[in-house]
Amino acid sequence: MIPQVRMEPSARSAVPSKEELALLRILVVAGEGGSAGGLLQNLRQWADDGRLEVDTAPDLPRAVRQLAGQRWDVVLAVLGEHPDDDLSWWVDTLRATGSPRLIAVAPAPSMGLVLRAEKAGVLDVLSLPLRREELARAFERLRSVASETALPLPLVEPHAVGPYALVGQSPAMLDVYKLLARVAGSSATVLVQGESGTGKEVVARAIHMNGPHATGAFVAVNCAAIPENLLESELFGHEKGAFTGAVTRKIGRFEQAASGTLFLDEIADMSLALQAKILRAVQEREIERVGGGETIPIDVRLIAATNRDLKEAIKQGRFREDLYYRLAVVTIRLPTLAERGDDLVLLTAYYVRLFAERYGKKMHAISDRVLELLRAHAWVGNVRELRNVIERAVIVATDETLRADHLPDELRGEETTLADRPQGGLLTLAEAEARHITRVLTHTNGQIGAAAEILGIHRNTLTRKMKEYGL
Amino acid sequence: MTGPAPVRVEKALALMPELEALAPLRALLVSIARPDEAALWSSSGPYLTLGKRGVHPDELRRRMPQAFQRITEHLQALFKAYVEALECQQRADAPGVVAALLRAGRLEEEVGRHTQARSWYEVALGVAEALQDRRPEVEALRALGYVCLALGEYAAGARHFQRSLALAEAEFDQAGATAASEGLGDVALAQGQWGGAQAWYSRGLRLAEAASDAPRAGRLERQLGVLARKQRDLAAAGEFLRRARERFEAAGPADEMAGVLNEQGLLDAHLGRYTAASAAYREALAWAQRAPRDARLELSIRLNLAELDLEAGRLLEAEAELRRAEQVAIGGHVIRRLAQIYTLMGRLRGAQGDETGFVFFEQAIELAKAVERSVATEAQVYHAYALFRSRLGQQDEARAYLERARELFDSLGEAVERERVEKELRALSA
Repeated sequence: MIPQVRMEPSARSAVPSKEELALLRILVVAGEGGSAGGLLQNLRQWADDGRLEVDTAPDLPRAVRQLAGQRWDVVLAVLGEHPDDDLSWWVDTLRATGSPRLIAVAPAPSMGLVLRAEKAGVLDVLSLPLRREELARAFERLRSVASETALPLPLVEPHAVGPYALVGQSPAMLDVYKLLARVAGSSATVLVQGESGTGKEVVARAIHMNGPHATGAFVAVNCAAIPENLLESELFGHEKGAFTGAVTRKIGRFEQAASGTLFLDEIADMSLALQAKILRAVQEREIERVGGGETIPIDVRLIAATNRDLKEAIKQGRFREDLYYRLAVVTIRLPTLAERGDDLVLLTAYYVRLFAERYGKKMHAISDRVLELLRAHAWVGNVRELRNVIERAVIVATDETLRADHLPDELRGEETTLADRPQGGLLTLAEAEARHITRVLTHTNGQIGAAAEILGIHRNTLTRKMKEYGL
Repeated sequence: MTGPAPVRVEKALALMPELEALAPLRALLVSIARPDEAALWSSSGPYLTLGKRGVHPDELRRRMPQAFQRITEHLQALFKAYVEALECQQRADAPGVVAALLRAGRLEEEVGRHTQARSWYEVALGVAEALQDRRPEVEALRALGYVCLALGEYAAGARHFQRSLALAEAEFDQAGATAASEGLGDVALAQGQWGGAQAWYSRGLRLAEAASDAPRAGRLERQLGVLARKQRDLAAAGEFLRRARERFEAAGPADEMAGVLNEQGLLDAHLGRYTAASAAYREALAWAQRAPRDARLELSIRLNLAELDLEAGRLLEAEAELRRAEQVAIGGHVIRRLAQIYTLMGRLRGAQGDETGFVFFEQAIELAKAVERSVATEAQVYHAYALFRSRLGQQDEARAYLERARELFDSLGEAVERERVEKELRALSA
């Protein structure tokens, strides 16, 4: 049985206490052509309890200067005549400048603007004239977010795979390890299937390193990344002058992988013509360089990977059935991050340590809120997305604990309480629909196709509704 | 339920012949192309280029009316300018004819149709040459000078500016003489003739100051700052930029301020002051946001910011900035700059030791040839491609690409870049 990953609060909490965070530093930025005078006056009046420190910038450029010079907790920005443009500009800018939270203020914010702001992780969108209680609610939300408990990072025992590592002890991953151990010792061709970011290349490397071809090279080719007209010469090589641009003789990846392993990633993206050539190489164990007449024998272990359903592709006539059976001698299916349970915590700890070391930081803990947010997120990009999020978070972290405000806005957006708006009022059907669509789009990371599938409507209908609601 | 998959841009463009009438359709197709949703988190995601983006034919059909409207508006403005020229002709108002024709040319330039703009300017010049008042001729020559500069025809550009200057001086047209001096400085700067550029800009600055023309003086100081940085006189560059900034900050247009700060960022980067450079670029973006939308300006700042991150080893930030620049270029119809964006992407992958990064250089070469049609850009891409190959230990390919870059710089008569390539070829052989 796999022990549950337990995380207890750290004795030495690196997270500032609630009292320490009580004072909020706010930068008020006027909209273009406007003045922040009235707003500032109101805020200063409302700040008489001493828990707000307020300053102002007359326009965007001066605000950027002030943001570079000092640390702020909140930017209260009045959006101009083009609120959507202004909002995305602010989100973009704050992401790059120490990430204070944003409260956007607009004369009459549209539903589309509010939902877009929600998706981007904006703390709140308020309408002008500002109401004291609305603003106070937004600040209280920020203060409650700031109250976090530090949890020490759990111990992780990664299995090193060259520059990568296999991390995880969930039942789904244990099944993968068992299959990997059985198949690695042979020279059998392997097909690794799994969603994007589940670690197909790491598994392929692990098979290579534990197999009979381990002394040879591991050569990886991403078939989808390389333009179709170049893929053939990339795989099989070419002779000098074989085509325009063939300035030198090129040794292809099959030859580079001699006595080693050739990993063909995203194999489903290959044209049928090239699939035929790969089939010949697999069957005959020989290749010809482009523009060359010589037949070259190859001794290569082949591992292929895809995130597509190859059987479906065969039905649609986009993938050769004979090649499929040649490649899928053994099939390993990798679980999604959602299927791996507490591996999320182990992977998080592993990446925090990895990137802390890479960027010369000391990090010993993550906050309970970070953990909550990570657990609540829909990891469409699986481990790759998690790695990306943690790397960015470690880069912006300034203390020894990874806190919620180190996470990208998209993740923090999921905790903001914009969802309980409008206060006390009931939603119209259109508002409810727009809100639900936004939630599903956030869940699918903006993937319209996937969102349409969840919503049970055609993507064209979804596109039309998004346009209608200004999403 | 999810409908058919989008068509890849590389395949969509292969179906479109190179006809001028289809240029707006091509631009629309590119501007609505989106990354394949499924590829965003896939292992090929980091290598996405324009060609791998997808378009839905139904979306293209839906957006066609917008494109037609833009074309109609452009043609209406052109026709209107022509009719106005005709009305002026009827009233025997020849300066009015010239002004209307120049306006039509500017409209063409705004949508990147430089060759067509030149045709309008040439007709305007023909009319202006017959006038006693030489100021319309000065203006037409200046417009022709700038359009030649944009087309890379430096010698022709210089000739137009020279004529413009001679006429302006003969007519005591100080504003015309200042503008012509600035144009001559720009041509010299583009050709790497630092001494000539220095002389023309300084002369222009004296004239602008004498005429209390603060915006033009600010622009000339910025250009002198650019020049000083290129000549590695960094203290002088800083001083020129400080003065330009002071002039613009008071009441200057936001785009000029953005331009000065963009240059300030380059100078700070040169001095190794990465934080200051980054702050300057961020502020430049804020000024650009205040100015009327100019995708070219925003793109230029974002590319500098990305290069700064790249040089400082902040690869994650560099990549994010390059992807934003890519979106600005595609959405803002500035696909000419994509070659530069993909070259930087390739350099970034090179810095990560990622061999698959070659796909960016291949795409950049294709864009330089087919879209930008710029030999200079193609040469720069080959140069960067060679360094990428060399970094990965592929010396034969590196040498071949350097030789190709040298050949292309030779064909342009470009000396500074050619010398850099030559130096790298020598280092490779050593």
